[in-house]
Amino acid sequence: MIEDMKELAERVIGQLHHRGVDFGDARVENTDLENLTFRKQRLAEAELQVERGVGVRVLVGGCWGFASCTGFDAAEVESTVDRAVEVAGAGAGVMEGSVRLSEEVPSVGHYDGPCAIDPFKVPRTEKLDLMARAADIMHASDLISMSWTNLRFERKKRVFGNTQGTLVSSDLVFTMPLINAYAVHDGDMQSRGFQDGARIAGWEWVQEADLLLWAEKAREEAIMKVKAPEGPTGTMDLVLDGTHLSLTMHESVGHPTESDRVLGWEASMAGRTFLNIDDQESLKYGSDIVNFIADNTMPYGVASWGWDDDGVPGQKWYTVRNGIFQQFGSVRETALLVGRKHSTGCCRAQDFASFPINRQPNFYLEPGSAPVTPDDLISDVEKGVYIEGRGSFSIDQRRVNFQFGGDMFWEIRNGKKVQPLKKVIYRSRTRDFWGSCDGIADSSSFRTMGLLTCGKGEPMQAARMTHGASTSRFRDIEVGRGAE
Amino acid sequence: MTGKELLEVVEAVLDRARVPDVVASLSEHREAAVRFGQNRITQNMDKFERKLRITLGDGEKQSVYSTHRIDVDAIPDILAKAMEMLRTASPDPEYMPPVEGGQVYPIVDAWDDETARMDPKERTEAAALAVSTAQAGGMEASGLVGGSYANTAIGTSTGNLAVHCATEAYMRLTMDRGKPSSFRLLTSDTWGELPVEETIRQVADEVEADQDQHDLEPGEYSLLFEPQAVADLVPFIAWSLNARPADEGLTAFSGKLGEKVTGEKFSMRSEVNGILKGNPFNEEGLAARDALWIENGKLLAQPCTRFWAKETGREPLFIPGTLAIAGGSGSTGDILRGVKGRAILFRRFWYIRFVDQKELSLTGMTRDGVFLVEDGRVVHPLKDFRWNWKPLDLFSRIQVLGEPEKKWQLSVPPMLLGPVVL
Repeated sequence: MIEDMKELAERVIGQLHHRGVDFGDARVENTDLENLTFRKQRLAEAELQVERGVGVRVLVGGCWGFASCTGFDAAEVESTVDRAVEVAGAGAGVMEGSVRLSEEVPSVGHYDGPCAIDPFKVPRTEKLDLMARAADIMHASDLISMSWTNLRFERKKRVFGNTQGTLVSSDLVFTMPLINAYAVHDGDMQSRGFQDGARIAGWEWVQEADLLLWAEKAREEAIMKVKAPEGPTGTMDLVLDGTHLSLTMHESVGHPTESDRVLGWEASMAGRTFLNIDDQESLKYGSDIVNFIADNTMPYGVASWGWDDDGVPGQKWYTVRNGIFQQFGSVRETALLVGRKHSTGCCRAQDFASFPINRQPNFYLEPGSAPVTPDDLISDVEKGVYIEGRGSFSIDQRRVNFQFGGDMFWEIRNGKKVQPLKKVIYRSRTRDFWGSCDGIADSSSFRTMGLLTCGKGEPMQAARMTHGASTSRFRDIEVGRGAE
Repeated sequence: MTGKELLEVVEAVLDRARVPDVVASLSEHREAAVRFGQNRITQNMDKFERKLRITLGDGEKQSVYSTHRIDVDAIPDILAKAMEMLRTASPDPEYMPPVEGGQVYPIVDAWDDETARMDPKERTEAAALAVSTAQAGGMEASGLVGGSYANTAIGTSTGNLAVHCATEAYMRLTMDRGKPSSFRLLTSDTWGELPVEETIRQVADEVEADQDQHDLEPGEYSLLFEPQAVADLVPFIAWSLNARPADEGLTAFSGKLGEKVTGEKFSMRSEVNGILKGNPFNEEGLAARDALWIENGKLLAQPCTRFWAKETGREPLFIPGTLAIAGGSGSTGDILRGVKGRAILFRRFWYIRFVDQKELSLTGMTRDGVFLVEDGRVVHPLKDFRWNWKPLDLFSRIQVLGEPEKKWQLSVPPMLLGPVVL
């Protein structure tokens, strides 16, 4: 199929040359999706989807035009090329175009994402049996009022070509297991679930995730949580695991360091950033031990596509090094505007039907180099909370003032986890928070979260990226209780 | 494709499927929009999607297959794949056959030919006007101007067939000059009804009025919400409303049917073909109808699936995409002039999320358009701040309601709420 898709992309590129555009690219995609969902102990949804189509982007007079169609029909694809040229021309007719792209070496090649066991070849009965057993385990207690068990498999074949000679393809399998148990007791409801999210991987990720073990853990901890006292309030220390930090870093590091935000292109929708262009390589972002590494070559990271939607190869770089902000993630159009010669390869669209925009890369908090365990971090906390997993989240449009919850909470007193808690939230400001980080465990506690639904752009697009961290400690953070 | 052509494909699927229970829908969606930021066009797009969705059932299990590959010749192959999915599904203890035949679908007039033509020149000129106005005032403009149409045909093996076509036009506009900023959203099913020029001037004026922001002094304040601020909160109530999760103890509405859930002055309903144009059917082919969810603070009805309706003796109901909050008369300005003592005026909210779903407690921020009001006049703009509120508690404090405005598929009034401590 990839060869047919390449042929279609080349035909579109030929049509773009023929129409005399300044620049043009084509994205040809075919995605097979299998989505299986148990609500409680019942298969509530068994869905197969085939999504395929073509997106065409052109530059005319320095103005963008983009059009897309579903299916691979030759006539419909050519009329899509015409629509892209028409809308670019409409822009060029009323405003002076100013788009300039960074110069990149054209790429030619193919990338297969890691996939040891093709999930589309695993018998559906095996998948449904696993899900049914996980649901049964969660509902072994009457206190579990509801649960979700979901398996999602996606095979995305994509081809990107442009008028500058790039023609690349990739074959990526995304696998995402999810479970969540909801306990109801004494007028309250609390939930707990498996939140490691998606990987570019096959069935082996479902096996590694061990849903049956997690079903038991989700059941027991949801019950523990719904019966637990509400959390303390005041200023105290936090010890946060990798699945929790994945969201905190996504909101307070990933988004502020997107180059389109510093340029104001997201001002009306996702917001701006507190960073300025000249903060690169100078602004203190966190404590000296804080290093954030962006890596669109991570083997199972869900933003590791081989090449981005500009046709730029996946790369690895420091976003924050020794606590100092290094550089924005960029696309070909923004790289020059933020003072860089080349794109970091952060241009991605939700699908062929969406205009590609600047998105977060995979990135992670570098684990500590010394042998330190989560218990070591907890042992040096007199009063605090240990948080696992993600919960409520909100941050202001400049990505400074934030509030986060979590999925599981434990009170820490005199260096020990003493009891479960519920309804804990904490509030801080981005640089204060990362500046208060005084301990990062070694890689043995490193956990990742692959996110498929990062919303940004207008019309809204969902993007995917993986974050990771080892358990880390933060001093003197304001902790509250839900709606207070 | 015309409505007739869409229906022909749907009927071909129904004819050729070799199982007793079938629901097929074919939809087309085209959206064309220009996006701008930093006083320049950053995107100009024209997207088109056509999608076929087939639900098959054999009396004890069911499956869904959807595809972008659509032509009558492909139907046998598509059905074979859908059948394979059905064969391997597990039995569904909550199996429901398709909705009964004879559904009476409301006719919803939500189509405008001019909007459906999607002339790129009009939207690009609107964006250019926003940019030139911002530049003249030393500001930056960003936003999205565009329109869309959606045509959907649906058929069921029980004999229902229907088509619905709708257009939509919109402008989202933000202007800022450093911290001072303003935002307005315009929506209509008709491009020609959008007051584009007037709104661009209004937003520029509002940026001027947002200068010199002060910190919020802790204390007790009445709250004055513009319609957009109400529109930002109401969906969280709707998302919590469903009958089954409530019956399972998961939401703030558990055990509350027929009881007071908020204040006397709060009523919320859905309409299918009024000022708001809803969907005449859902994806099962069930006919939509108007519904009164909350009246004078009392929970009267909840969205309910067909299975749960059968189990609990209720009527199957769904939100047809619209929500209307009862209002009164007068504008935000009229209400503001009647404020006694101190109040905070909110134009909109930002980044609202659940803190606790069972409590229906939310957190969010302000983002521009926040003003201190004293005795009927605006004193000065305020800096952004975080809030943690329960909307049902807030709406139990309604003192005055103004005239509703349309915000996407919501009709929402400005409202003055009794004092809270901030």
